[in-house]
Amino acid sequence: MKVPVTFGQYVPVDSPVHSLDAKAKMGLVAAFTAALFLVDGPLGMVAAAAVVAAAVVLSRVPWRIALRGIRAVVMILMITLAAHALRWNPATVALVRVGPLAVDAAGLKEGLFFVVRIVLLVVGTSLLTLTTSPVALTDGLERIMRPLARVRFPASEVAMMLTIALRFIPTTAQEAEKLIVAQTARGARFDAGGPIARARAYAPVLVPLFVNLFRRADDLATAMEARCYRGGVGRTRLHESRMRPRDWAVLCLGTLVLALVGITL
Amino acid sequence: MSKRQLVVFVEIALTLALGVVLGSLKIWQMPQGGSISLGMLPVLVLALRRGPLVGVAAGALGGLLGLIVEPPFIVHPVQFILDYPVAFAAVGLAGLFSASWRSSARTQAWSRGIALAVIPGVATGALLRYAAHVVSGIVYFADYAQGQPVILYSAIYNSYVLVSALLCMGAAILVLPALERVVPSENERS
Repeated sequence: MKVPVTFGQYVPVDSPVHSLDAKAKMGLVAAFTAALFLVDGPLGMVAAAAVVAAAVVLSRVPWRIALRGIRAVVMILMITLAAHALRWNPATVALVRVGPLAVDAAGLKEGLFFVVRIVLLVVGTSLLTLTTSPVALTDGLERIMRPLARVRFPASEVAMMLTIALRFIPTTAQEAEKLIVAQTARGARFDAGGPIARARAYAPVLVPLFVNLFRRADDLATAMEARCYRGGVGRTRLHESRMRPRDWAVLCLGTLVLALVGITL
Repeated sequence: MSKRQLVVFVEIALTLALGVVLGSLKIWQMPQGGSISLGMLPVLVLALRRGPLVGVAAGALGGLLGLIVEPPFIVHPVQFILDYPVAFAAVGLAGLFSASWRSSARTQAWSRGIALAVIPGVATGALLRYAAHVVSGIVYFADYAQGQPVILYSAIYNSYVLVSALLCMGAAILVLPALERVVPSENERS
């Protein structure tokens, strides 16, 4: 049983999409999603597909990785297509007919439209996490949530918690791996038997993981307090991420193009 | 921010990290794509020790972190809201039973705590999460597939959550009393 050591989807290559500010990318993804749901013809889908394809090529993310997200929605895609295209014993003439089951031409066309929309949505939105490091993402998220601080929403604390979580994922994974190896050496099996037998094998791993978690939380809180951490008020950053004129230009231009595609096509 | 608040704050962060790690250990892969893991367990444990507010905050943030760490599953805007923040925050409502758990832990009445807090708590959190996923499925399918038995589709499609919940319940019964003996939640009560 191996614990994956690398987490996250970030593909660290150098590209214009990678160097774009995280906040601009988030804005573009939101505009893209809205445009995708406004489009109501095949021509609009072709335009949206062209936008996604151009973004993938520009980002230098391998196609294999960019399309990986589709795997998770294959089932949904199949059900969507079947629900639209298949008719039970239709009165009208159908495209293909096997017994009482028939494939309806208009339904098939409609189903394909929805399938393409989901595929584009999945690939388009996953580009954000593929081209932005988790830390840059949480920084961007904090900046976007900052106006919410007026209604006492702890935006900076949320970003800090996510950053700590991201930092401790590899540490926790290593710890889990060490415990699993130690139990394997004592004869435990994690990959044999049914779900219940497997879950039971995890018990001697889970207890120390949780004990370590709560002890470490106490230590970490002491360490943060000793360094005068007192929440987000007045905290400054060593590397402040700023929207450069280029980021603004790409964001505004991209949103304009996507809005045009969404409204006209 | 007081020291106690800071400890809770860091506990939430580390809970999220453990959730990601446990979520990546797929105990069983379901044929239709869902997988069974103990990813929910850390939020359930934290919620039972710290109460519903902390639990819901940890759950919602876990949903957010899940988006960053794993390929997201987004097919519809409403589906996204229900499947990510809402479903994961619902898990934290297991904390509604935290008062009962703490009072049992104080007297070391473990079987009482398991019967009155752990089992109903995990069941509440998991069933609410299941409900959020089922409603999200209904919203999605109702939009795309008119006139189909959408509730049935959605209920079956999301059933892997219930299997995960049963495993989490078993694991929580093992973990919580052992944890309470070593790191009591009472003396750092929120």
